[in-house]
Amino acid sequence: MSLVYLKLFIADVLPYIAGIIFIVGTINRIINWAKSPVPLKIPTTCGQQKSLPFIRRTWEDRLDSPYTMCETIGRMIVEVFLFRSLFRNTRYWLDKQKGVDTRWLWLFALLFHYSMLIIVLRHLRFFANPVPGFLSIINALDGQPAYVPALYITGILALVALFWLWARRILCSRERNISYPADHLILALVAAILITGNLMRYFFKVDLYAVKEVALGIVSFHPVSAAVVNQIGWIFFLHLSLVCITIAYLPFSKVMHFAGVFFSPTRNMPNDNRAHVHINPWNPPYHGISWQEYYEMYKDQLDEIAENGYKVKPEV
Amino acid sequence: MVDIEKNGEFVKVEQKFTSWRDLLKPVTEKDFKPGFYHYPILKRDAEQLGIPYRDWDPLEPDWKLPEGWKETFLNKFKELLEKNRQFKLFMDICVRCGACADKCHYYIGTGDPKNMPVARAELLRSIYRRYFTKVGKIFGEWAGARELTEDVIKELYYYLYQCSLCRRCSAFCPYGIDTADIVWRGREMLQSIGTVQRFSYISIAACARTGNHLGLLPGGVAGALQSVAEDVYDITGIEIEVPINKKGADILFVTPSADYFATPHWYVCMGYLMLFHELEERYGFSYTWSTYASEGGNFGTFASYELAQKLSHKIYEEAERLGVKWILGGECGHMWRDKHQFMATMNPPPKTLEDPVSPITGTYFENAAEAKIVHIAEFVADLIEHKKINLDKSRNDHWKVTFHDSCNPARGMGLYEEPRYVIKNVCNYFYEMPEHSIREKTYCCGSGGGLLADEVMELRMRGGMPRAMALKHVHKRYGVNYLCTICAIDKAAFPTLFEFWKLPVEVGGMMELVGNALIMSDEEQERELDLRGNPLKKNEE
Repeated sequence: MSLVYLKLFIADVLPYIAGIIFIVGTINRIINWAKSPVPLKIPTTCGQQKSLPFIRRTWEDRLDSPYTMCETIGRMIVEVFLFRSLFRNTRYWLDKQKGVDTRWLWLFALLFHYSMLIIVLRHLRFFANPVPGFLSIINALDGQPAYVPALYITGILALVALFWLWARRILCSRERNISYPADHLILALVAAILITGNLMRYFFKVDLYAVKEVALGIVSFHPVSAAVVNQIGWIFFLHLSLVCITIAYLPFSKVMHFAGVFFSPTRNMPNDNRAHVHINPWNPPYHGISWQEYYEMYKDQLDEIAENGYKVKPEV
Repeated sequence: MVDIEKNGEFVKVEQKFTSWRDLLKPVTEKDFKPGFYHYPILKRDAEQLGIPYRDWDPLEPDWKLPEGWKETFLNKFKELLEKNRQFKLFMDICVRCGACADKCHYYIGTGDPKNMPVARAELLRSIYRRYFTKVGKIFGEWAGARELTEDVIKELYYYLYQCSLCRRCSAFCPYGIDTADIVWRGREMLQSIGTVQRFSYISIAACARTGNHLGLLPGGVAGALQSVAEDVYDITGIEIEVPINKKGADILFVTPSADYFATPHWYVCMGYLMLFHELEERYGFSYTWSTYASEGGNFGTFASYELAQKLSHKIYEEAERLGVKWILGGECGHMWRDKHQFMATMNPPPKTLEDPVSPITGTYFENAAEAKIVHIAEFVADLIEHKKINLDKSRNDHWKVTFHDSCNPARGMGLYEEPRYVIKNVCNYFYEMPEHSIREKTYCCGSGGGLLADEVMELRMRGGMPRAMALKHVHKRYGVNYLCTICAIDKAAFPTLFEFWKLPVEVGGMMELVGNALIMSDEEQERELDLRGNPLKKNEE
């Protein structure tokens, strides 16, 4: 009996708690960043600046060292969607004393993030009735129809990429060195979500109509009844509570980088510093000696320069 | 452990791998290695700049921190978080992916895990979590947070001065986290409790007082320029009059004071005087040096916002007083991070300045429209493109040249092609170093950001290792014997570095090569020597 209450709590209450913590926490973080001033324009310029007409700038230069607003937006798009900076990654081989391009981190990070994105999009079909066309298309493209039920490629890819990223933290000595418990915690949470999700789909199947009822109930603020939750297996509730815990944890974790990257001044500011001067809202007044004070200090020597007609000549 | 060869000798790089707990455990004076820690600030500099002073020794267990140091430090931390979005953001969003780890030349050269950019930032992040986030307050060490103790201050002092603010890691970071910015804030906090290094503050105090990092008085500046002009006379037989503090000139020229004081900067300064004289003879070019603004560089940018502003302010004030139209800047690294990204924000440009238009070619330097300061490489490239100066490339035939992108003009400005354009037009033999060591991936000389102090020599030699090895590659392959760089600190640091790594390569600047190649209209005899007094190659044959 008590298990039903637990199930009802997970289906009807927990998602709201998690959702509120996530939304309030995220907005808080973003407001906190957004309202603090940006004193200096500090883009990291990874390409040729715009200067003279005969100095060529390739499209890569435009994206890595943007001058106009459009180029800056372009840089952000390439950074956020294609992980431009990670693509530049190298590894320094001490024994050969040279850097070599290494794009494994870029590849697996990209695989992981895109798989997660598609997984989240796929899940949206539970929350909508009828299911919008584009979600069905994503679903159809992701599913590998040779198996029944269709095998979702992203479900597997995300897990593979996640374990690659995790293995890197455990097996590579350098990365192990810089991995805090928090770094392992978030990986463990996401791994648990992916594993329970995959198990639920392929091995411990649950009643999807009842699941959809729960999902629709959440978004329409109509809590489902004990009869509905009793139709669903325990693994669904394990999966859902892990998701809720993770969502509630996000605003306090490093996962906030998804929002933070948009605020990063080394990426989101154009390299037009000398053409358009940035204003620092708290720029303090100058404290230091003025020309007049300087003149008083070194009057003799400055007067001598003046007597010589403001020029020096070689003694030959 | 890896042995790196230098002419039969070996330098050991021992890579240490510890655990996340060690990342949070501070190193103290017992672990300080000679050649890696800085001497503390001098009394006279601290007093002049209003920094709390005490007599202390980094190797003593008691650092005699001022009363209430913890509160002062944390208040400064809070203030900087509130005033700097980028700093707050960089404290929050790092995921410790490790992409930056082996991008730091100090990490590569020392193998010390705390020299990874991520670990350097974690020095401050761990304090941030403990005092400014709930998770850190509750979970402590498990959330990567740590108490601020005297030992932590010692560790900050040790490692924040093992970073040259080159921003190489920032180019590789997927979120663009700028370790230079974090280190800058950290040093600012240390400054609030008077626990700062000696080297850069000597120059900051000197510059605040006299107008240049070397502390040369007006007569000294004039005398130095006179000596440069005498050296030009010895090579070319031309007597050049150098305008100084001249009102009504069109252009104010600022360059690092090392250019008229140290070698090999000296040859670059000869190049400036020769070029400006030639332009004056042929086109009536009018410019002036200044003693009040006799420093292009800005060591304040290694310390704090206020000190950076204190030093860069003089340039605009002087430009206004002299009534010039715009400002031309010489070869320097961090100077251009300051002049390009900071100066005009810290000091609003005076209204009296006019559009930066080249008086010779009429080119409007659109990219300098508001800050009114143009880089010498942009200026010279424009002259060459319009064929306004005559050049004899063969006078540089004894040099096989490579170009070192200095960190700040590269990653803080995007000045890649202009110097290359100039160099390719003034010499016949030009070779690029390996791709991973040039342009936005360029390695620091190992001595920037306030680290040009002699007491950290081992750190500098190790930090310069990746650059030295890249140079060794082109030296062996193409016989490169001249490394051209547009940074004054590079010019000071590289000769020592190459001596250490046993590389027979000379160091010089772009304007030295221009000076060599420049055919001067009032030069009567055929030139026989280059600016260093070496015989020119064609005369040898």
